[in-house]
Amino acid sequence: MTDTTHAANATKAGSSKPKRSDAAKRENRTGWAFMAPFAILFALVFILPIVWAIYSSFFRQVAEGGGAYGGGKLVNKFVGLQNFQYVVTSAAFWSGIGRVLLYTLIQVPFMIIAALALAMLLDSFIVKRVTVFRLGYFLPYAIPGVVASIIWVFLYNGQISPIVKGLAAIGINVDFFAKNIVIGSMANITTWTFTGYNMLIFLAALQAIPHDLYEAARIDGANGFQIAMRIKLPNVRAAALLAMLLSIVGTIQLFNEPEIMSVSDPSISKSFTPMMMALYTSRGTLTPSGDGPASAIAIVMALIAGILAALYALAERKVNQE
Amino acid sequence: MMNKKRLLAGFSAVAALSMGLAGCGSDTSTNNNASGGGSSDGGVVNITYMHRLPDNDGMVLVNDIVAKWNKEHPEIQVKATKFDGKASEMIKKLETDVKNDNAPDLAQVGYAELPEVFTKDMLQDVTEYAEQYKDHFASGPYSLMQVGGKYFGLPQDTGPLVYFYNKAEFDKLGITVPKTADEMIASAKKAAAAGKYIMSYQPDEAGNMISGLAGASGGWYKVVDDAWVVNTETDGSKAVADLYQQLIDAKAATTNARWDASFDASLQDGSLIGTVAAAWEAPLFMASAGDTGAGDWQVTQLGDWFGNAGKTGPDGGSGVAVLKTSKHPKEAMEFLDWFNTQISDLVSQGLVPAATTADAKAPEKWAEFFGGQDIMAEFKTANNNMGDFTYMPGFSAVAAAMNTTAAKAVDGSGKVEDIFSEAQKTSIDTLKNLNLSVKE
Repeated sequence: MTDTTHAANATKAGSSKPKRSDAAKRENRTGWAFMAPFAILFALVFILPIVWAIYSSFFRQVAEGGGAYGGGKLVNKFVGLQNFQYVVTSAAFWSGIGRVLLYTLIQVPFMIIAALALAMLLDSFIVKRVTVFRLGYFLPYAIPGVVASIIWVFLYNGQISPIVKGLAAIGINVDFFAKNIVIGSMANITTWTFTGYNMLIFLAALQAIPHDLYEAARIDGANGFQIAMRIKLPNVRAAALLAMLLSIVGTIQLFNEPEIMSVSDPSISKSFTPMMMALYTSRGTLTPSGDGPASAIAIVMALIAGILAALYALAERKVNQE
Repeated sequence: MMNKKRLLAGFSAVAALSMGLAGCGSDTSTNNNASGGGSSDGGVVNITYMHRLPDNDGMVLVNDIVAKWNKEHPEIQVKATKFDGKASEMIKKLETDVKNDNAPDLAQVGYAELPEVFTKDMLQDVTEYAEQYKDHFASGPYSLMQVGGKYFGLPQDTGPLVYFYNKAEFDKLGITVPKTADEMIASAKKAAAAGKYIMSYQPDEAGNMISGLAGASGGWYKVVDDAWVVNTETDGSKAVADLYQQLIDAKAATTNARWDASFDASLQDGSLIGTVAAAWEAPLFMASAGDTGAGDWQVTQLGDWFGNAGKTGPDGGSGVAVLKTSKHPKEAMEFLDWFNTQISDLVSQGLVPAATTADAKAPEKWAEFFGGQDIMAEFKTANNNMGDFTYMPGFSAVAAAMNTTAAKAVDGSGKVEDIFSEAQKTSIDTLKNLNLSVKE
């Protein structure tokens, strides 16, 4: 009796289970089908190159033929961790990292605060015709980074720049390419380009705040400034975290600005930033050259960027909890 | 509403797809062009040729030159492709293509890059064919297409260093083109006092130009017993450092980077009235100067400013090499000899041809700018006057290090002579990194 019920139950369960799992399977399949274009492309253009970079970072190209020209025989030699050893002991790499960190430290807070201030201003009742301003602030971001850098280089150029000439006319002599100024000149380009973009992130977050909060605050007697500081600011924290993380990762990969400015100022070396160093290593303009050392540079750089971003996110959470 | 959204999604999907496809499409098409080299059908040999010539308006296009050949030689059909990008990018691409066996038969390679390309195992020994065409080319550039006694292609153009100067301005200042280093410094100071400059120090060209100037009186890289002997701190180097240092200290030379807009500005406002330049710079120089001084400029040989005793050095210039994967080196070389001797067509591309089969005539526009002078004759004289300068594999790394160091001499944080000590260090590091023998 019990056996049969068990059996019956079993067949019941068995008969109903495949039914449900058929539907589930079909659902799964559709899900995967929808995922497929993304998944395939993601694997192809994202995962695969990373795996390849990691693989190639253990190799170095050397001429095995001996003699003055290596006999024309170039071999991809497994060198273990030698490329990584080179990167972490390379003074050029660390001074590049130092430069981008300094850059991040100066530029990112400045830009984020400026973006937040602009967003607050646009979200307040002071500004009429928000669209015009919003578009205006965002416009620099629509200009490709390389083009923006070229324009700014013209504006920095001592011999043709109206800014330099204008300042000189009133007795101020500036050299935007001077040794300690040049990094500030680059930071200015980045700030000019990305402030509007970050402002949009903040503006979107601000406009998502329910307006009844403001009404309630006003009934309680809060003025506009108090609303901004007590309600708006705490509510855009998530957006601020996002903007900060994107900016930190972005500035560590600093490339366009120094690359373009090096045309005017050749003292900006090929290893000025880690990103430039990786590119020129793979092109053979820096020694040791080749894809192996270049991949190693890129990997170490990515690790540093990841650690920094994680540290920032952790610190932010901690501060928020307190 | 729903339909609209769906439509939009559809559109973006199609757009994304076609973007991906376009990416693939362009890739495969270049590959096809390139891989066509190996195939021959029905007795027709197909040759592919990748170049980096400018192909600007008003020039005889490479494809038009090639079309002439194809018409006359139905049995050897050539397809030329232009590479849009820097030289170092092209080498990187060719390196990959050679590995994948879809590289072109022929590719443009700078003289300074040839040893590096050889070390990277990308070339084919074509000595037996090259020898047949030897007489068609000047001997200096011809020898730059060899590595260790084996030839890999034929020279196309040359870049001897010469002196461009504005004769009218020189006359106004009461100076002539200096003959010695002392005269150069005296004249430069005299000109600088009047707000004019007869020399330019170009940090971004240091690796190409300063190595050439130093090389005029003797090479840096020698192979002894199958090992490199590097000496970048030669007497010639010291003379170059000395002259430029004195000019910079006296503020008697411009220090703008060559490819920065400020260099053009200094030509256009008439303050820069004399400079060392590579022969191939003529059309670029004209573009930089605009109309300023048009008709007053002249080309002349370098004076004995760098202990060079009437010699000059190389700055750039390229040949065309037969790549390793080519299956028809004989036919490729036959075409190459023909192509590199199409002198007037090559001149239209702004080249100073290495071929000596006919006299090169500069386009009329150039003659107008350079006061009716036959500047091609001057370039030819310079060509025949070129000192021996062999490049080492990986020279691009040396040149890059030289540029950065050269820039430090501009603001006084370094000296011009540091360029050469940096070159020495980088040369040896680079050779060792490539696992080549170095004798220290």
